[in-house]
Amino acid sequence: MTPAESAEFDTLVLGAGIAGLQTALDLADQGFKVAVVERDPSIGGKMIRLSKVFPTLDCASCITTPKMAAAAHHDNITLFTLCELDKLVRDEGGLVATINQKPRYVDIDLCTGCRECEYACPTFVPDHEQGGFTSRKAIYVPFSNAVPQKAVMDPENCWICGKEGGQCFKVCPTGAINYFDKPSQFTIRARTAVLATGYELIPDYTEKAFGPAGRQPNLITSLQMERLLAPHGPYMRVLRPSDGKEPDSIAFIQCAGSRDLTLGVPYCSRVCCMYSIKQAMLLSGALPMADITIYYMDIRAFGKNYEQFYQNAKAMGVEFVKAKPTVAGAGENGGVVVRYEDQEGGGGGRDREYDLVVQALAIVPAWNPTGICDVGVAEDGFIQSIHPKFAPTLTKMEGVFTAGVAIGPKDIVDTIIEAGAAAMEVSNYLTETAKPATVDA
Amino acid sequence: MTAEDSKKKPAGDEKVAVYICHCGGNISDHVDVEALERMAAEMPGVTVSRRNHFMCSDPGQNMIIEDLKAGKADRIVVASCSPALHETTFRRAAQRAGVNPYLYEHANIREQVSWVHHGDGATAKAAALVGAAVAKARALQPLEPIRVEAIRHATVIGGGIAGLKAARDLAIRGVKVALVEKTPFLGGNFAKLDRVYPTQEKAGDLLTGLAAAVLAHPSITVLTCAEMIASEGYVGDFKLKVKRQPPQDAEDLDKLIQLKQAGTAKGTFVPFVGILPFDVPVGEETVDLATGAVVLATGFKHYTPPKGMYGYGDNPEVITLPDLIKLMAEDTAGGGTLQVNGRPIKTMAMIRCVGSRQIPGIHEPDEKGNLNEYCSRVCCTATLQADRELREKYPETVIYDFYRDIRAYGRGHEEYYVGASRDGVLFVRFEADAAPAVARAPEGSESPLSITAKDTLLSGQDLEIPVDLVVLAVGMVPSDVSSIVDIMKLPVGADRFLLEVHPKLRPVELATTGILLAGTCQAPMDSTEAAQGATAASVKAATILSRGFVELDPYVAAVNADLCTGTGACVETCPHSGCITLVDAAGGKGRMAKVNPALCTGCGMCVAVCPNIAIEVNGWTLRQYEAMVDAIVGEPIVAEAE
Amino acid sequence: MAGQGTKPKILILATEDCAYPGANSVGQAHLAYADNVYVLRTREPAMFPEKFYLDCFAKGIAGIIIMSCGVECPYEGAYPALSKRIDRVYVSMKERGLDPRRLRLTAICTVCNRAFINEVKKMNDVVSELGMPGEEKMATAAA
Repeated sequence: MTPAESAEFDTLVLGAGIAGLQTALDLADQGFKVAVVERDPSIGGKMIRLSKVFPTLDCASCITTPKMAAAAHHDNITLFTLCELDKLVRDEGGLVATINQKPRYVDIDLCTGCRECEYACPTFVPDHEQGGFTSRKAIYVPFSNAVPQKAVMDPENCWICGKEGGQCFKVCPTGAINYFDKPSQFTIRARTAVLATGYELIPDYTEKAFGPAGRQPNLITSLQMERLLAPHGPYMRVLRPSDGKEPDSIAFIQCAGSRDLTLGVPYCSRVCCMYSIKQAMLLSGALPMADITIYYMDIRAFGKNYEQFYQNAKAMGVEFVKAKPTVAGAGENGGVVVRYEDQEGGGGGRDREYDLVVQALAIVPAWNPTGICDVGVAEDGFIQSIHPKFAPTLTKMEGVFTAGVAIGPKDIVDTIIEAGAAAMEVSNYLTETAKPATVDA
Repeated sequence: MTAEDSKKKPAGDEKVAVYICHCGGNISDHVDVEALERMAAEMPGVTVSRRNHFMCSDPGQNMIIEDLKAGKADRIVVASCSPALHETTFRRAAQRAGVNPYLYEHANIREQVSWVHHGDGATAKAAALVGAAVAKARALQPLEPIRVEAIRHATVIGGGIAGLKAARDLAIRGVKVALVEKTPFLGGNFAKLDRVYPTQEKAGDLLTGLAAAVLAHPSITVLTCAEMIASEGYVGDFKLKVKRQPPQDAEDLDKLIQLKQAGTAKGTFVPFVGILPFDVPVGEETVDLATGAVVLATGFKHYTPPKGMYGYGDNPEVITLPDLIKLMAEDTAGGGTLQVNGRPIKTMAMIRCVGSRQIPGIHEPDEKGNLNEYCSRVCCTATLQADRELREKYPETVIYDFYRDIRAYGRGHEEYYVGASRDGVLFVRFEADAAPAVARAPEGSESPLSITAKDTLLSGQDLEIPVDLVVLAVGMVPSDVSSIVDIMKLPVGADRFLLEVHPKLRPVELATTGILLAGTCQAPMDSTEAAQGATAASVKAATILSRGFVELDPYVAAVNADLCTGTGACVETCPHSGCITLVDAAGGKGRMAKVNPALCTGCGMCVAVCPNIAIEVNGWTLRQYEAMVDAIVGEPIVAEAE
Repeated sequence: MAGQGTKPKILILATEDCAYPGANSVGQAHLAYADNVYVLRTREPAMFPEKFYLDCFAKGIAGIIIMSCGVECPYEGAYPALSKRIDRVYVSMKERGLDPRRLRLTAICTVCNRAFINEVKKMNDVVSELGMPGEEKMATAAA
């Protein structure tokens, strides 16, 4: 896992979420050498941070960890964490990727993941891995099922607590702490690349749409709700952030920024209907007495067994209201007031107060290739596909492919299938462009 | 740090080396590792007991390698963190020392001891776990991965878009392919499209390109008018029988006549028919295929509404969406108003979710008792696409579009919805239990039909709309694959589509290794998704076939010939047909069980039912578990104080 | 080393795909549970015959928790077979005067750390109520 100054691979996969990992595994299993470059300190992407997944309701970790472990132990896969792509160009020998290695401040070969440094560190910082609801230390193993299980230091918050180095430095049994770690740069040569750079939630919608009314601790995002529902989440049960109360009423606002030309993005984010229904079902299991409402424009339950899942949620008593509500302000005792037009009832505006409100924020690309590589960005901001109908994973840059949410929102099943398809397109490109001597026998 | 010179104790021939990891304090802060080292040295069969700050470090691994190379031990136990982290590390260390990597057992004394227990109990429990690991290690046998030769040939069943794409993908990757298509034509349902969303490309152009590549590829053999009639074998070595015969299906015969009359050349795309690559066979023949993997791409059928549903079958003015697509494609005249059978369509209605999203208690099951509870996924955007094309081509035709939810989910789909709304399509939402009703219009009405509905978004206002045409957006049902399901014993879901092993872990695979799913045989999907599914199935087939052999886990069932009495209980309980069979035992001693390791998943269900413990899963035997339990319940080992 | 010889022992059969990582997640979270619990990693507990469980009790194991993957079991047909077998073990246990609560079939996922601890606690409550296997038989006879 030590970045060599220059290394050669058949494929460079950018992004180690479920799309990148599946692509890497499907290539490595065929004997191709794959470099996986991930900007986070752990592989696993968004999926490892989820609670349970629809429509099977199996736990996200149970599906993701085997793939993470398989990639970490694979003879043909090399993982590069805390790395970002600086430049990807093509020369006569193939693709050349310049990679920026961010400092970990911990020697990844010496660190055994024992977490002694973490216990010793006196600094508490909000833990974004837990939706910001709990704290972590300034040196920490990112999360319980992180791969690699290695500590990382957060230089923004470390104040080197002792005169001759901090507590972590003193307790580390292997001497892995290195306060003087610096950013570095190295090169990867590869014949092909797959961009699997995933998504994030739209950052500014809440402020734009609701203004001051949206600045409330109990108005949370869907990914925060994932953490509240995860068995290893911040409170290990569902409590609302402001006061630790078990919520009696919860609302979900769908299309928060999706299908919204003025304040958000014009496209459908494709997964929000289903994950909100899933969250509603998990909530009604955890809090059987709670009132749960989903405000929606259209319920898009289109995948295999999704409609049946939706109908089950209805049968379980989840209330579905066709409306696009706004957040009108704070209610009593920490509640959030939702205002909507009662289209199905008597019409007119209605206010309803909830203990906790979850926004299904639109999905936007997590990475913009502009200035880094010449793959082209479509009007929707996602990477452009040159053959959207039968080979959506092809980009306009020769030898460069893409998979997963990098080319548009999609759920995990569709992402995994697309990742497999990308791996096939890559293997075929590698086969067709192989020098005669290296064509496999 | 050694305790090699421990007193000799009764032992078998096995020599076990035990290595205890401090994990830099993570273990040694809570477990008395020195005492543990002494206790381990006293355990039966243990010849070496050592410890190290970090067993996973190079010095730690070198300790193992040196002991093994020096012959001090022939198998190892490492007591450290979870096996998920370092099992592979230590197996490889054993291998580097020339010892079979399976002569290794792990004791998890960090995640399951030092991190969860403190005080004296931690050391005692660690000792019990090490004792159990030693007991298992003594019962371990060397194992080798099972290597199955794989024929670099795949068979794709179905010549629609998914089948064509899979065949082409695999051929490029260097795999020989047989493409088996039931009808005389290539293209499947894709040939019945005009333009495809979201690119608005001509389906015929896309199909022509793909089919030409398949037909021209030297590694692909296309067999039309062909059906699989028998299958045996296993991954890497399936033996299929394929029967070719003159076409009998009325629709196929009709299309052949149309082609003959039009004088169309072979290999040319004909709209709404497909591509006829070759002459149809005149007699019957059977083709034997030896193949390494099978890709199923058997596709779907459009739902046919029963007579009377929304007036279908009773009124010629009620048609399906595929009918409308064909009508529009064949209408070259254009004009302000759509004309059907010479009649101008001033007002028309689309009705969605016909044969999809059916709800028990609201919708009637069909004559076989089936209810299509699933969403058919493609009809929403396909209907929006038709809406837009109609408004564009026939601006005077008014369209009412009755929907439950508009599911324009894909990249570029929402644009159709926005566009149709902007173009003036009138969307009316209905609830499943208050669907619109289609009836003949009263005498004297200008339009032949009348629709009554409740608009749920207008406070349940009742609508009555005279219409000239009703188009039913029919869903998808799986093709009839009952014979393939019987022959290959395939799992089918409640929705009657073929059922993958797991939607996320193995979305295009079946439990039988080497049989893969491509496209709409698995679930409704549009042609982009079907092509993606096919390509994803291809990568799995390529992984199996590209090396010419398949290496399988050695953890499979094995029969002890001395103990097997041929009761057949294992055969009966095994979920994989053909995996365990009864054969004549050597020396005329009756019957005995035989396992085909290529078909065994190592689930061990056979172990539980054997009255003689004559069948065991290699590496995970019942005897090993019994030895572990004995070690756990046995008297605690007390190390002598030094 | 107090208590090790006398405390009733609980055996956990944990599937390598789900429950065994689940047990590890308890360690990763540094949550404590009783030290009389021994986790054995299995591929699929459907491999154990009825006799295995009865022998365990005869050898002095006071409680067994089978932690499976439940309906998410990756092996075709294994979970239904396992749950049927356990029903038969219960019958045999009753015949031998063993309280059926000593054996429990449950499903634990890779991050189910609370559920794991709960199961362990409940089984410990059961075995501390019942004592060593065979003891409850006398209690029943005396009643």
